[in-house]
Amino acid sequence: MMDRLADLLAKIAAAGLIVMTLVVGWQVFGRFVLQSSPSWSEQTALVLMIWYVFLAAGAGVWERFHIRIEILEQRFDQTTQRRLRITIHVLIAVMGLVLLVSGSQLAWLVRDHVIPSLGISRAFAYVPIPVTGALVALFSAGRIRVRLAEGR
Amino acid sequence: MEILVLFGVLFVLLALGVPVAFALFGAALATFAVIDIPLIVAVQRMAAGISVFTLMAIPFFIFAGDLMYRAGIAERLVRVADAAFGRVRGGLGLVDVGASMMFGAVSGSAIASASAIGSTMVPLMDEKGYDRDYSVNVTVTAAIVGLLIPPSHNMIIYAAASGIGVSIGDLFLAGIVPGLLTGGLLMLTAWLVAHRRNLPKGHFPGWRAFSRAAVFAVPGLMTGVIIMGGILSGIFTPTESSAIAVLYTILVGTVVYRNLGWTGTWEAAQKSVRTAAMVLFIIAAATAFGFALALLEVPAALASLIGVLTDNPLLTLLIINIMLLMLGTFMDMAPLIVITTPIFLPVAMASGVDPVHFGIIMMLNLGIGLVTPPVGSVLFVGSAVGKLPIAQMVATIWPFYLTLLAALALISYVPALSLWLPGVI
Repeated sequence: MMDRLADLLAKIAAAGLIVMTLVVGWQVFGRFVLQSSPSWSEQTALVLMIWYVFLAAGAGVWERFHIRIEILEQRFDQTTQRRLRITIHVLIAVMGLVLLVSGSQLAWLVRDHVIPSLGISRAFAYVPIPVTGALVALFSAGRIRVRLAEGR
Repeated sequence: MEILVLFGVLFVLLALGVPVAFALFGAALATFAVIDIPLIVAVQRMAAGISVFTLMAIPFFIFAGDLMYRAGIAERLVRVADAAFGRVRGGLGLVDVGASMMFGAVSGSAIASASAIGSTMVPLMDEKGYDRDYSVNVTVTAAIVGLLIPPSHNMIIYAAASGIGVSIGDLFLAGIVPGLLTGGLLMLTAWLVAHRRNLPKGHFPGWRAFSRAAVFAVPGLMTGVIIMGGILSGIFTPTESSAIAVLYTILVGTVVYRNLGWTGTWEAAQKSVRTAAMVLFIIAAATAFGFALALLEVPAALASLIGVLTDNPLLTLLIINIMLLMLGTFMDMAPLIVITTPIFLPVAMASGVDPVHFGIIMMLNLGIGLVTPPVGSVLFVGSAVGKLPIAQMVATIWPFYLTLLAALALISYVPALSLWLPGVI
């Protein structure tokens, strides 16, 4: 279930990367062939990037691709390692909740600001933060559950 | 006191094994809580950290690097280097360095280089009777050269972090001579070590084979030409040129080399987006951390501390280099660039160092951190590719470390190496 959700998020993010490539490619094409650069392309690419970076970063909590220092952890025995990993994920879950709450406040604060070249609310660029916060909390809770199940 | 919270929380979280991005963000949050600043500011800084147009080049460079790997460009570069250097003793060591330099010229990432060149070179060197520790040592240290040879996504992070509009084109040009120098020194070391160990030598395949290999590598190497040419002529922004490099690699990999296609592209996108997300998420978190540092006036305190220690520009540069080397051993490159550039760049500039020159120093310095334990992402890749424990790798790597340090000293104290080329073009 979690595997599939994380993989789905990464696939959406990968599609975002490909669309972003095409948008910037179109911008170059527009400038050289159509003699006019689209005004929306750069900002669209940036908002896309913010979205896919945050979504994929959320998936990374489940897939554990975020780099970390494992040197110390390897010195401990199995039980301590398991407790340590649970602690780590509790801390990450708390940070996920901060991203969720503060990120929502932030998006709400800027809801009336408009991104000039796109004509949409600036909140669009901030919504991925609370979404990712929720994902981070969810995935770290999932990791804690896996570890607890191992202990039984 | 607040400084203690910031660094204390960071070190405890890192030591526990919390991912670097979350450790940086957590330390910033704890500090904000202590000095009573709303947490929303930390989140806002994080968002601002990646809402930067030039940073869009990073996912493109990562994507292009992975596509090149899948298209089999690394193999073709190895063939050219083999035809050129294979005949001398320990020739494949030199081939490894040469191919890494060429890969560095088309891709912007040391990790991509270590895995692409390593997975081609290490089995080849095994087959010819080279020691495994030697081949892995050469591969990981040679991968660092790619950080200096443009394009380099870390230079883009530096340009963004400098906050004073350092030109990406100038940085790219400035890296060329130091990159060739470092690569040349590594080749020399690889050759000397090969002599001591009496490693085998190959033979020259003849000019026909050499030109054949070169011709097959040209479409791949064109990527570097497109990126550099586009940026230097001002036709493309760095972001645009990196996106064009992605599209071009997909085209060449599908039509010319015929091993990419839609499946390869889609797999590369899925892998690259994860790497890009990891790097940019760290940059976002490091921006929040850097904001906390600035609030606590750490940069100013550190600057005056260095000022108290010495007012000699040469010594100042030495102190900065040593501090960066120490930080580099246990932290990754991207967050260190984001965090330390605002601290050290003003100090360096005050003692007369050009910001472009300082960027090149920083690339090589922090690059060395990527191949030193306990934390070195390129070292980890080398260990995985060569299936060799870190301890065994590092036991015989010292001649290569010394070479990189010698190159760092030369590049630090001979500004012309970096500044001559941007000056004449």
